[in-house]
Amino acid sequence: MPKFLKEFFNRNGTGMGLAILGLVLFWTIGLIILPQLSMLDFSFRPNLPPPEIGGPKDVYTLENYKYLIYGPEGGSQDYNSVDLRVFFRTLLAAVCVTIFNLIICYPIAYYLGQSKGSHIRIFAIMLIIPYWINEILRAFALRIIFGETGVLNTLFMGLGIWDTPFDFIRNDIALYAGLGYAYILLMIFPIYNVIESLDHNQIEAARDLGAPWWRIHWRVVIPYAKPGISSGCTMVFMLSAGALAAPQILGGPSSLWFTQLIYQQFNDNNDWPQGAAYAIVLLVTCILFVLAVMRLFKVNMGDIGK
Amino acid sequence: MSAGVGVDLENLWIRFGDFVAVRDANVNINGGDFFSFLGPSGCGKTTILRAVSGFLDPSEGKVLIGGNDMRGIGPNKRPTALIFQNLALFPLMKVWENITFSMEIKGASASQRRKRADELLDMIALPGQGDKLPSELSGGQRQRVAIARALCAEPDVLLLDEPLSALDLKLRQHMRTELREIQQRVGITFIYITHDQGEALTMSDNIAVMRAGVIDQIADGKTIYNDPNTAFAASFVGENNVFRGKIKQIMGTEALIATNRSGDLVARISSANQGKMKEGDEAMMFIRPEAFAIAAEGASGNHFVTARVNHEEFEGNVFNIFTEGEGGKEIKVSIPNHGQSFQDHTGQNITLEYETHNAVLVPAGELAAE
Amino acid sequence: MNLSFLRVSIWVYLALFFLYLLGPLVIMSVTAFNSSAFPRMTPWECLTFQWFGDLFQDQRILNGIKNSLIIGAGTVVLSVAMGLAGALMLTQIWPKLRATYYTIIIAPILIPGVVLGISTLVFWDRINRMLGLGADSVLSNGVFLTVIGQSTFIASYCMLVLVARLQRYDMALTEAALDLGATHAQAFRKILLPFMRPAIASAAVLAFLASFENYNTTTFTFGEYPTLTIELAQKVRYGITPSISALAFIIVALTVFFALLNEAKLKRQELVAAARKNATVEELAGKIKLPSFFAGNMAAVLLVVFAVATITVVGTATAYNPAQCIANVKEEKRLEAEQRIQELRKQREEQRKKREAEEAEQGDAGQSAPKPSNNSGFGNVFAPNTLGSGEEESQDTETPPANNGGFGGVFDPNSLKSE
Repeated sequence: MPKFLKEFFNRNGTGMGLAILGLVLFWTIGLIILPQLSMLDFSFRPNLPPPEIGGPKDVYTLENYKYLIYGPEGGSQDYNSVDLRVFFRTLLAAVCVTIFNLIICYPIAYYLGQSKGSHIRIFAIMLIIPYWINEILRAFALRIIFGETGVLNTLFMGLGIWDTPFDFIRNDIALYAGLGYAYILLMIFPIYNVIESLDHNQIEAARDLGAPWWRIHWRVVIPYAKPGISSGCTMVFMLSAGALAAPQILGGPSSLWFTQLIYQQFNDNNDWPQGAAYAIVLLVTCILFVLAVMRLFKVNMGDIGK
Repeated sequence: MSAGVGVDLENLWIRFGDFVAVRDANVNINGGDFFSFLGPSGCGKTTILRAVSGFLDPSEGKVLIGGNDMRGIGPNKRPTALIFQNLALFPLMKVWENITFSMEIKGASASQRRKRADELLDMIALPGQGDKLPSELSGGQRQRVAIARALCAEPDVLLLDEPLSALDLKLRQHMRTELREIQQRVGITFIYITHDQGEALTMSDNIAVMRAGVIDQIADGKTIYNDPNTAFAASFVGENNVFRGKIKQIMGTEALIATNRSGDLVARISSANQGKMKEGDEAMMFIRPEAFAIAAEGASGNHFVTARVNHEEFEGNVFNIFTEGEGGKEIKVSIPNHGQSFQDHTGQNITLEYETHNAVLVPAGELAAE
Repeated sequence: MNLSFLRVSIWVYLALFFLYLLGPLVIMSVTAFNSSAFPRMTPWECLTFQWFGDLFQDQRILNGIKNSLIIGAGTVVLSVAMGLAGALMLTQIWPKLRATYYTIIIAPILIPGVVLGISTLVFWDRINRMLGLGADSVLSNGVFLTVIGQSTFIASYCMLVLVARLQRYDMALTEAALDLGATHAQAFRKILLPFMRPAIASAAVLAFLASFENYNTTTFTFGEYPTLTIELAQKVRYGITPSISALAFIIVALTVFFALLNEAKLKRQELVAAARKNATVEELAGKIKLPSFFAGNMAAVLLVVFAVATITVVGTATAYNPAQCIANVKEEKRLEAEQRIQELRKQREEQRKKREAEEAEQGDAGQSAPKPSNNSGFGNVFAPNTLGSGEEESQDTETPPANNGGFGGVFDPNSLKSE
């Protein structure tokens, strides 16, 4: 038995040690690593009916990935422009949602992090409550508001600002608002955590030296809050790119989200390998994108999740 | 006082990777002794304690408690109780629950435990405090609760890991006496870890002086103070003036040393090193500040040192004189205050005198850091 | 920069922000009490509790709640256990492995839920086939797959919550317990577990909520056991009714209630702790009584107000007879409708006359036509009657003149459903 394992069992006792080790191995290997590898493997296989699985036709193929780029064989177009467009639109929209969230959340996180007093706790509760409400219900609430006879249209038409109802849903405004809404807390919390630990004297000192408020933020607060900002942005980006509920409920009829394509492959077309390939493409692209952006802004992976 | 259970370390080595924390320790601790490991932080004394209590397996060698090899026996099965440096009182349990935790483990009833807790609280002079939480007690009270908790387990050996280091000076001095009293009363073996020589000297029957994983000397306090084995022991325990030089001539138990800066001086060879040192060896001679007296001016010989007084200090019980000998050699002298009129010597040259048996000669070696 | 201007703009910003955050929930909750068959706030028709009744008679919703509770319980147990084991491992893992290990256990938070759902499905399907089990084995059971799939990432959240508390744990406490004769299991149960209890409770609540609201992962794994969220998504995608608002209202109310309860408890603990510092145990026993529970405890006051409001609402609901109310409204509407029909006839006659008179130059008369038909601006257009979906209203065969206009159909909420 290796020395560190022996020490581990000495420290935790044999029974407890086995329980801890068993649970951790089950989680990391059985739930995290193997399923992802299994999905990766699956994405390189043809879609076969169950009896033929493991048979002579069950060979590795790039077919599923080719499909995303070139579309069905013998198709009329050179590229699978529909799916590719959805894919890039999803990434772009996720970036927009992330930036939108960062802009609206940064002031709140700064305010909460640097203010003292009991009202901060009430604010914190008010922030957390919407997050405890079901994701579907949050989308539903926004649909009530953005619907054609919804509150906003009633209000604006009542005020006479416009006189035909504006179709928020078809224009994807409802979708962006809904995605932003869903992940506000995930953006605020990491930034808040970091800003709370910033010594207020630093800000006072900068102010004392005559820096205007925007320069204080640019030179003092934002560099300090960078780990929190990157952590929040990463989470919001990954989750909005991978969102499914909000696009299904708030998305316009003509605009699909990439996750909806994956969903369709699985549930409607019953083509699991194809769906797995799409999922792999989404996962890998998102991770590479996040890593690239993190390198661009010189942030460490270890800061995420703090 | 019962005979108690002794602890023996035989050829004990403890390694962490390449780092050797304890090097070939051999110690015999008699049953019922108050035994201290004294050394600077990082010298390996806590490591020894953890090996005795069972939290660490020795890399080589044996730990024997009452003559039984403890290899493979976990901390919960050993007849030892450890008092942690930070006490490690259970924060969520009341004082009485803390004290009787070892009984709870054995399945004793609440009323039995309550009764025992009250007895122990009386013993540590905290009657009626059983329902408080540890956080509501003062530092000294917490200290005593930790002792009561350890004693409640009825150990054969009580291990204490610098338990007084968090207390303020007054309380520390008070707790020294109290600990010694408790040890005398319960009559079990105490193994005490400290870097404070005052604690070690006042409480212990025997002391082991440790340096960088090595035990330099094991002896009672007086011997360690008056007859150190090594340069480290001499410089770590109490204040000392060191004179470096070469042995010029051995004269039985005494020797003449050609010091680097203070001329030829005579010294007594420490007991452990008698017969082991020879002429021409590098050596160190130690003279304690209080062993000097101011001699008549102009006196000279092999037990006189001349020096120039830099400044003086009045500490109450002693006058401290800080002098600079030849070649910049610093010497501290403490003259006991008997209420005599004291002449200020600042800026003057004085001659210092010592008796040969107060100058101890050991082989040259590493000194304790200031 | 003017300081007071800055302060005002901060408050305005905060107000707008919380309006965005809480407004939708408030509006959704309010629509649960409007008897309009389409969830809406305006025009206010009639206070009703009918949608709550509908909700509790909906077998699919009830079944969904049952499945959600079962899956939630399983997920809480599995994720808290794995999260705790993961956190314990993180504090003592070999330093060289720590960064890799941390990346692995934190990754599920960032992996899209869709991907987690698919990988769980694919992996366990394969295991199932390897073991030669049929389609009805435990490994392909919806409850099992959902619990496994959700726990993959919920355990990461639990781990983060638990490791924060574990970092403040003094390992010497466990050693002290061992030294006093406890076994490792006893030390864990009597020392570490009580210390971790608050964090375990938080992690369990978090895990349950995350499981309860999860959609992305569950939608691939639920099999024969649709959870509440899955049922809701089906309903919302294919048409929305106020009984969903009723459910939302219940969830919002419960959430607010427990949030306030928790806050009041925390505040009370703080007050007690502050008091303990200044008082001995004897004094405390007499001092901390119920009234001081409220002293300086905003949350407690709010909690009481909230509880009273809930009791009032429930009391009203039981005493209140919606049938009476709706009958009244019907009656009113019938009268109104008759009146309108009369008006209509007049209008049509006028229109006919107008049209006849101005036919040559009048192309867009339709647009101005609806306006005189009612006095409340757009009210008529938005009236629930236009939906035609409410059963009891089907007799109010009102033909709004607006339908003559070019855009009447746009208002029909049925057009939403088709999306």
